[in-house]
Amino acid sequence: MFTTGSKLLFGASALSLVTALVYAWSTEGALSSAGTLGLLSLFVIFAFLGGVNYANRDCNVSSMDEAAVDTAAAAQRPGASSVWPAVVALGIAGLVVGAVSKPAVFKVAVVVLLAGLVEWMVLGWSERAGGDAAFNADTRRRMLHPLEFPVLGALALGAIVYAFSRLMLRLDKDQGRIAFGVVAALVLAGAFLFAGKRKPSKRAVLGISTVAAIALLGAGVASALQGQRSIDEHPTTRTDTEVCLQVGADEEIDADATQSVSATSNLVANIYLKADGSLVAHVSGYPDEARAQLTVPRRAQVNLLFHNESDEAQRLTARTGEGEDESLVCTAAVEEGDQAFLSFQAVRGGVLLVPGLVGGEIELLVP
Amino acid sequence: MLVKPSRRAAAALAGLGLLLVGCAKDAPQDTFRPAGENARDIDGLQRPLFYVAGVVGLIVFAFIGYAMWKFRDRGQEIPEQSHGNPKLEIVLTVLPAVILAAFAVPAVSQVFALDKSDNECVINVTGQQWWWEYDYEKGSTCGGVEIPESIVTAGELVIPADTPVLLRITSRDVIHSFWIPRLNGKRDAVPGRLHTLRMHADEPGIYVGQCTEFCGLSHARMRQAAVALDTADFQAWVDNQLAPYQAPAEGTLAAEGESEYAAQCSRCHQVNGLTDDSGNPVLAEPDQSVLAGAAPNLTNLMTRTAFAGWTFDLISDECRDRLWNEPSETFGDVYLQGVWMYTPADATTPACFNELNLREWLRNPPAMKPMYTDPDKLEATDGLTRGMPNLNLTDEQIEVLVAYLLERK
Repeated sequence: MFTTGSKLLFGASALSLVTALVYAWSTEGALSSAGTLGLLSLFVIFAFLGGVNYANRDCNVSSMDEAAVDTAAAAQRPGASSVWPAVVALGIAGLVVGAVSKPAVFKVAVVVLLAGLVEWMVLGWSERAGGDAAFNADTRRRMLHPLEFPVLGALALGAIVYAFSRLMLRLDKDQGRIAFGVVAALVLAGAFLFAGKRKPSKRAVLGISTVAAIALLGAGVASALQGQRSIDEHPTTRTDTEVCLQVGADEEIDADATQSVSATSNLVANIYLKADGSLVAHVSGYPDEARAQLTVPRRAQVNLLFHNESDEAQRLTARTGEGEDESLVCTAAVEEGDQAFLSFQAVRGGVLLVPGLVGGEIELLVP
Repeated sequence: MLVKPSRRAAAALAGLGLLLVGCAKDAPQDTFRPAGENARDIDGLQRPLFYVAGVVGLIVFAFIGYAMWKFRDRGQEIPEQSHGNPKLEIVLTVLPAVILAAFAVPAVSQVFALDKSDNECVINVTGQQWWWEYDYEKGSTCGGVEIPESIVTAGELVIPADTPVLLRITSRDVIHSFWIPRLNGKRDAVPGRLHTLRMHADEPGIYVGQCTEFCGLSHARMRQAAVALDTADFQAWVDNQLAPYQAPAEGTLAAEGESEYAAQCSRCHQVNGLTDDSGNPVLAEPDQSVLAGAAPNLTNLMTRTAFAGWTFDLISDECRDRLWNEPSETFGDVYLQGVWMYTPADATTPACFNELNLREWLRNPPAMKPMYTDPDKLEATDGLTRGMPNLNLTDEQIEVLVAYLLERK
């Protein structure tokens, strides 16, 4: 009943199972060990292969049924070599790995498995669509290319974007300049070389493109594995009382930081701490007027630029509201001759002040 | 394919109708009727540009039409194909370039010419979904009129006539755009940025505009107007805005309305001078309820002619038409009466008050003007509304609130 090949494989399967049981019985903690798992895997694999052999009678059709020489599957024209069985196998393996590791792996495996199955099915069907191999291949192309090309194109684009993004997140400012300068120079040089040839070699174009794609993907994956560079945060404002109201507070904010490049234009006002110790506002709309009062809309973002024209480092503080509703926000300690940006919202009125500066306050009105 | 004559006639009629739309006289937002220095400068630039562009357009369309007619398909042989005509191509490239270059000179000059600094009045304009707030700075001067205290109003921007005014424009939530077509071009209101726009109205009158940057659900209902008054009338308007609060007489509907207002409306809307039972000022805290953190100041509501983003009239259609066509000499006198305009001296009720609009609004604001106020759909804003929610007021509450608001003049 059993064919020779299937007997061998079923026997190996049974031996694996027995060995696994013995190993598990004789070894402490073996139930969860890799050894038991491996032996059980062998049991499953041998049983599966034995089943396959049994199903196709060891592919030995002539010995069993002479009439099947012409009709058995093994006697038919073999299908074209295909990658899809391997993809399906990869998908199944991914399902198993994903089930015990990460859900993302499982989801990707499902997609791979489904894609592989669809492709394999359509390939199998198309190979029997007609008697002409060229016609069958064309049938498959017409069915699947409208699906394959957009998907593969999107995947390729995604891979390029991913690789670029990982690379740029990894490289710091100087490395980025060098890397992309070199890449740009290479592209330019390559373009010159190709432009000089009337008919560039197809093989050369393909080779260079492949090398470039592999280099990009490799660099992207390597960057992703290394993780992104550390990015320093540059707070420009503080809201603590000990910083915003005390004179000469030690704690400094990064004076080099700018909250937003665009925010330095379209300001509500420029606030100047003069060398004589006075604090004045030059308000948009009152170009030539130094004002000691500033009106800002309630709960709207207010952007000020503080200019320190005194001879020591100072900060500008906005104090609004009273009692429990008091709110403080201040700039970094700004070096003499330097400037800093202050952005805040006010719900109630208050003052703009420089800690320690007596009498130098600007009234902040919130109508 | 041949087109039926009846369809051709219909298409021609539709085109003619479209053309005749340009002849509308009752078009308050007509950019071709400038009413101030800045708008006139722009008009002086756009008219010649429009004429030349129109002539060029006509010539181009005439050529296209001629070619379509002359070479229409009549079953003839396809003529010999040719490629390129260097002389023609050079002419058709150089000619538009020369025309554009010629217009660039006055256009760029005009941009610089509009950037003046001789302002005699500065007003802060703040946009939010879906209305405009104006505030006049304490201690400033506007057209020679002192502003001793801050004035906050909404919808109607009141400016002195024949005075260069500078608007400082920003936004509390999303990007809006302020535009009064007859007085100047438009300017975006961007959160966190301050943009300026000059206004100048030659003579007293009302100039209508609307938000021109799509800003959400009720963008189409975010309108505004600039009201120009002569100096004396502007002074009277400022004095009225800063007049002390007049509490309603005891025992009246308005007095009941004051309590109702304090309970229902004052969470968001400010009425300057209103105090609680302890004599403390009642201060609105709209940032607790509204995403933008602001709601229109109602201190002098009845001096305005429209409300809710200047969308719904506070005066009747007839009074509005009369006011808008009022001669500039008498416009200010009439406007300053608010909803009491055109009311006989011995009358006890205002002749022009559009009570129905206000009642309907109080009954269910989102039904009149779409806003994001459904309590079940405010997760994204932590329960804060965008616009005024339905307060489910009863008829009695609406009655007393209308009586109270009618005295805010």
